[in-house]
Amino acid sequence: MDHEPPPETPTICCRSNFVFIDRVAMEPMDIVGRTKEDASLPKATMTKIIKEMLPPDVRVARDAQDLIIECCVEFINLISSESNEVCNKEEKRTIAPEHVLKALQDLGFGEYVEEVYAAYEQHKLETVDTVKTGKWSNVAEMTEEQALAEQQRMFAEARARMNGGATVPKQPDPEPQGPQPPQPSLNT
Amino acid sequence: MRQPGAYSGLRISGKTGPHSLPLARIKKIMKNSSDEVKMISGEAPIVFSKASELFIEELTKRAWMMTLQAKRRTLHKEDVVSAVIKTDIFDFLVNLVSENSGKSEDPQPVMEA
Repeated sequence: MDHEPPPETPTICCRSNFVFIDRVAMEPMDIVGRTKEDASLPKATMTKIIKEMLPPDVRVARDAQDLIIECCVEFINLISSESNEVCNKEEKRTIAPEHVLKALQDLGFGEYVEEVYAAYEQHKLETVDTVKTGKWSNVAEMTEEQALAEQQRMFAEARARMNGGATVPKQPDPEPQGPQPPQPSLNT
Repeated sequence: MRQPGAYSGLRISGKTGPHSLPLARIKKIMKNSSDEVKMISGEAPIVFSKASELFIEELTKRAWMMTLQAKRRTLHKEDVVSAVIKTDIFDFLVNLVSENSGKSEDPQPVMEA
C-alpha cells in the first residue's frame, strides 16, 4: 500500500517495458496469464477485491495475486464453455443469464447460484429505475406544492401554445417560477 | 430508496467494496473461450461478474486458510496452489497451477518487502 510495484515480467519472456503481441504494443501491467490474445482482468481492481476479502494486515504476494487472477480467467472460460453447452442443448442462439446459472450448478458451483441470481435481480431493478426518467421519478421526489407548481407550469405552457403567445398566462402559484419557456410570437 | 448505479457491477454485497469487474473485459474473455462464438446477452456478463467475485472470494479465503496453517501473515503462491488441490470444484485449475509452479525459465519478480 506504500509504493508502486516494479514493472511486471510477463509470462512471455521479454525484458523491455513494452511487450509486443501481434505487433501491438501492450503495457506489461495489462498482461497476466497466457501469451495468446487473451483478455485478462485489470490488476488494480483485482488487487483491491482480493485485499478487501482479507484482514487488513494481511499481505498478498504478487505472484499469488497473479495466480488468483489467472484462475479467475480460467473460471470464466470454464463457465463460458459450459454455458455455451447449456445454450446449445436448449437450441437457443444467445447465452442468457439462465444458461450461466445452470452452468454454475452443473459444475459444482451451485452455492453461488442464489447470490448470483439475487445480484442479477437487483441489477434489473436498478436498470429499470434509471430508464424511467422524467415525470415519474420527479413525482416521487417532489413535495405536493412542487408537484402542483410543476403542473401549473405545464398547463401554462399548453395555454401559451394554444393562445399563440398573445396573452401572458397567469399563474397564481406563490413560489417563484423557474425559467419561463420561450413564448411563441405571432406575426400578423 | 433509489440510488444511481454508479457501477454497472454489483455493489450490494456487504462483503466486497464498490469495486467490480469490468463487463467489457468479461465479455472479451467469454468470446475467447470458444471458437464458435455465440451471441452473449447483455445481462450475462453481469452474472459472470458476480460469480467471479464469489469465486475469487472462495479461492482467496481458502488460500488464506493455508497461510494461517503455516502461521504466516503473507499469502504466498503456494497457498493458492494448496487451496486449489484441496478443493474438488477447483479441479479444473489443477493443471493451471501446477504448470505455474513448475515453471523455472522466467525468474519471478522479487516480492517487495
